[in-house]
Parts: sequence; C-alpha cells; structure tokens
Amino acid sequence: MKLEFLAPQTLQDAVTMAKARGGAARFIAGGTDLIIQARKSGAWPEAVINLQQIPGFGEIKGTGPNFSLGSLVTHRQIEREIRFAGALEALRESACVIGGHQVRNVATVGGNLCNASPAADMVPILLCLNAEVALAGSEGRRVVPLANFIEGPRKTVRASDEVMTEIAFAAPAQKFSSTFLKGGRRRAMEISIVAMAGVVSASPDGKMTDVRLAMGAAGPKAIRLTEAEKFLEGKVLSKDVLEETGMLAAAAASPIDDVRASASFRRHLAGVYARRVVELSWNRISELNDDRSAA
Amino acid sequence: MTEVQLDLTVNGRRHRLSIPAHYSLLDVLRDELELTGTKTNCLEAECGVCTVVLDGKSVASCTVLAAQCQGRQVATVEGLAEGAALHPLQEAFIEFGAVQCGYCIPGMIMTAKAFLDENPRPTRESVREAIAGTLCRCTGYQKIVDAIMAAAQRLSQQGERA
Repeated sequence: MKLEFLAPQTLQDAVTMAKARGGAARFIAGGTDLIIQARKSGAWPEAVINLQQIPGFGEIKGTGPNFSLGSLVTHRQIEREIRFAGALEALRESACVIGGHQVRNVATVGGNLCNASPAADMVPILLCLNAEVALAGSEGRRVVPLANFIEGPRKTVRASDEVMTEIAFAAPAQKFSSTFLKGGRRRAMEISIVAMAGVVSASPDGKMTDVRLAMGAAGPKAIRLTEAEKFLEGKVLSKDVLEETGMLAAAAASPIDDVRASASFRRHLAGVYARRVVELSWNRISELNDDRSAA
Repeated sequence: MTEVQLDLTVNGRRHRLSIPAHYSLLDVLRDELELTGTKTNCLEAECGVCTVVLDGKSVASCTVLAAQCQGRQVATVEGLAEGAALHPLQEAFIEFGAVQCGYCIPGMIMTAKAFLDENPRPTRESVREAIAGTLCRCTGYQKIVDAIMAAAQRLSQQGERA
C-alpha cells in the first residue's frame, strides 16, 4: 500500500492537487467514512488530500432566515448550535443521532453529503430546507440544489477535483417548525433503517401549509415526499389526514432488504414516521409560539 | 512520499514519528508508541473501545487518520493517573465495580473524561447519552453511570478546593 498524504493550505492548491491526479485522489475531511471504506475494501486511493487545514470552512453563518454551513462544520457543532434551537430543531436532531460523541466530534456535514449514503442522516432535513451546495473546482465555482447533487447510492454530480465549500438554506417565511426521527436498533453509532424529516408551516387561518417531508434510507437516495406534501397543503391535522399521509409515505418508499431490516418493515416504518413527524411538527409550532408569548 | 512525518503530543510528551500515510491514530498509539491501553476492536467506529481525547474532544481513534493529527494533543488512558494517584474516574470505576472484563473501560473512561471536562455537573441522562457510542457487553451501564456521576462530584469538589 502506497498511500500519499497531501496537506494543502489553500482551496486552490487542493483543487490543483486533485486535478493533477485525475480521479486517483480523494479529498478527506473528518475521514470517518473514507477510512472505514478503504480499510474494509483494501482499496485505498492513491492519495488523500486533507481539507482540514484550509481555513474558512468550519463555521456556521447567518442569523436567519438565511444560513450557511461550512462544509467542514462537524455534526457536534450543528447539534449544539443555539441558532437552530426552536423552529430549526430538526437540524440538531439529525446531527445528534449520527454516531456517538466520538464520531460527531470529527465527522463533517460536507463529508456526510459527499459520501452520499442513502442513509445519510443530514440529508432529509436539508432537502426539506431546499439546501444548495457550493462546489469549487478547476472549472470554477457552481451552486447545485442538494436534491440534484446526490444522484444515487454513493453517487453525486461532484467532479473528482471539486471541493464542497458550503451548504446554504433559508428558513420558511411563515410560522413553522421542524422534526427529525430516525429508526434504528440502537441510539448511537447506528445506520438508519428509515429516517424522516419534516418542516411544517402554519397559515394565518390555522391550516398546514408549505409542508415539506423527506425520507432517507428507504430507497437509493433520500427523497422529498411530494405526494404527501401536496395532500397536506391547506389541511387541518386529524387522524384521517395522518393516516393518508402515512399511506402516501409508505407508497413512496422503495426500500431494500438487508441485515438491518426487511423492506416491508422499512415501508411500514416510513408510514409510521411520516405520521409522527407531521403530528410532532404541527404541535411544535404552537409550543414555539406559546413559549414566545410567555417570554 | 508515502511516509508522513508526524509531530504528535501524547499525554504531554512530544513525539516525532515517521509513519505510513494510511495509519490511523490507533495504529500509531498502539504499534508505534506501544500505548496498548487503548483497545482495538471493530475498526469501524461502532464500539468506542478505541476512544481517546484529541484536542479536548473524544474521538474514535480507529477512524482518525494519524496524518491529520499533525501538531495536535492526544490524551490516552495511560496519561490519566498522576504517578501512583489514580484519576477520580479510575477510582470511581473501581469503587463502584463498573469493570468486569475491562475491554471497553479505557474507551469508556476517556469518553467520560472528555464529557466531564465540558460538563462538570452532568445529569444521569446526559451521562447515558454521552457514553451511547461506547459499548459494554458485560457490566451493563448502571454501575458505569454510577461511577461517572460519582467522579463528576469528586472532580467538582476538587475544583472548588483548588
């Protein structure tokens, strides 16, 4: 094994190094996915290009409604971000179920997205927030909606010399809240069986509006549940509405059988979690607003 | 260039090493520095037995590339005791019988160390959450949580006296 370790100090150098090696080099951020994959397969890349020493990508910016996450922001930073407490709680809930403290201290949000696991836990809520990712490569810079960035399992539109630099999103304009739920056998160090995120807004007349639901680990990539979203627009929460939401979510799932769960159990969970996410998010809107009036 | 020149401080002692680029921090600790208190097990950040403290934060040393630790500070279980005086966490683990086979204990203690450094007055629930990434398959977590809570109390008393 002849792995080369490259430690650029600037983004430009990182891109140049990657370009010079064609597709034979991999960028490394926290490394928690890359190292396991390389060790298991025995197929290390020719070189790894360390992004950790390049300044400027480790911060969470913005005071709302617009926010951006530097690609090297760790899950631990997101989990503890006070700006995401409250309506954007689902970001913290997604970050805090990834690995244990040991993984979240190291693993980055950019790595989670670029690794493109169908079970990547940050993806569903970022899809709900219509996040866009910024890429910088030898051909220049571009911004891609996250929904188009991930193409399938472990597959993205990122060129081998492109570095993800940031992830940007805006909070919804109306009163809203968000929820993330993850199904797994264990509460830490676990790969999701099904992951569900939702962002629900309330219209002035007390109906659900601008409902966004996204599901991970139940198909080749995380997806928005557009049928369920359309159905929920303008609805008032009821048992029947939740029932229908669950059926639409289960119908949208295209899960696999694997060691973690059967496809049919995953489909069942998709329905259960869609119902819970909508109900919880709706209840959270009034809780958030009660808190505000009480304070 | 496939070897990396690594400058790493472990338990306060600075080392200058030449290592293969694919070495994990765990490889360096165990195989280069012979600090075998940190254990090897799953090698995929599932079990937490390889947990050490890197620049004040707990990390799974099996999934940290050593070359990325250039100039950084590592604390392992070997660095906790001061001479013959055990660290309050170590004392509490003994006192509460929180150890059976012992394999997870170095990782468990270092996980707890990083957590208590940031959260000197924890709740039982926050301790359970903090050690969720570190598996014990024999003692069960009750006594481990008891020990960490007791150590937290002693550490904060020591802090007040100091």
